[in-house]
Amino acid sequence: MCQWCLKHGAGKKWYLNSRNYHADQLSSEAEMTDYLTEQWMNFEQIYIRKIAGFSSKDLGYKLKMPIIGRILRWRAESMIHSESKNRNAKNADGHFGQVIPLEDAQLIMSELAAEPIICNYCMCRWMQRKEKEAVCINFGVLSEVLEKLPRFIPKDRTYRIDRETAMEKLEEFNKKGYISSVWFQPVPYINAICSCESPECGGFTLRNNFDLHVMYKAEYIIQLDQDKCQGCKQCVAMCQLNAIRFIPSMNRVIIDYDKCFGCGICRHACKNDALKLIPREEYPGFDGTY
Amino acid sequence: MSKSKNKKTRTKIEIDYSICGEGGKIDPRDCSLCMRSCDPAVFVMHPTIGTEKKQEDPYDPQDWRITPIWGSLCTRCFKCVNACPENAITITW
Repeated sequence: MCQWCLKHGAGKKWYLNSRNYHADQLSSEAEMTDYLTEQWMNFEQIYIRKIAGFSSKDLGYKLKMPIIGRILRWRAESMIHSESKNRNAKNADGHFGQVIPLEDAQLIMSELAAEPIICNYCMCRWMQRKEKEAVCINFGVLSEVLEKLPRFIPKDRTYRIDRETAMEKLEEFNKKGYISSVWFQPVPYINAICSCESPECGGFTLRNNFDLHVMYKAEYIIQLDQDKCQGCKQCVAMCQLNAIRFIPSMNRVIIDYDKCFGCGICRHACKNDALKLIPREEYPGFDGTY
Repeated sequence: MSKSKNKKTRTKIEIDYSICGEGGKIDPRDCSLCMRSCDPAVFVMHPTIGTEKKQEDPYDPQDWRITPIWGSLCTRCFKCVNACPENAITITW
């Protein structure tokens, strides 16, 4: 369990606490609508906004600067995890997520997510690749906000979906190789399950390159059964994060746990049932490394 | 190995906004070849801010530009420079 589970999980994982899915219980619905409208109208501009007076352009170089780098990192982290009343919607303060395996994503869709549910275009892929792919599943107040923004809404098909369709879609995306992730926006309100791809995903970009905790690792880690692995390399092609590598001399794959987020996508490729997800806290070495 | 990586000088990617963007003849939303050719996804396309011209409809902005945002991830492969039909991109270091 991470710090956000202790804070907002009520004894469970944070994304399994049903209170976090109801905007009216956390603050007023109108307040959430205002915040999310502001955030999503300016979503593509988040990267070029200022952090502590510095433009986030070329952030990688600025974070390496001796003193300014540390101030910037501290400021960026506190913006990402901000729970204060006056957080800035244009900077998406309080917007961060965690990788979840397919089972947890489907559990959220079947029981916890608030109506209405929509499936809209992924804006990370739009702003970084000009790819319009309807893989983001949003729910609750955010759905109504997004419906007003034409660039995120697919025109040629029905975007409002029911719970069963959402679960089927999640399975389809997962088997395609996309990583499910659940998002606070703003913390502690949960209203999105994304199907992410690296390096387009903003969360993965910031986490993997600059170590900013926009994306947390899953509550699970992958376990490889070395006896069952036949060395077919199918899982290597499936991993979005370069966490699996094939070793010819041993004719099996190895897993880089620094890079592995515990999404469990590789399981879909394995025909020999060699890959399993196990809870992170069962491994003392990985407990707490989110 | 890591030492030579630290020594790598800063890569500056610049886009000429008088050719590409709200003032020029190319709308980034129609072209976007640099974004699509870039392997580490350095570029981001966004509605313009900070210029005098205001977006008429904030829900459906029409003025867009591309910013090379993650310069530190650039591998200097020059795919974007070669992809740009109007030669609007320059890379220096």
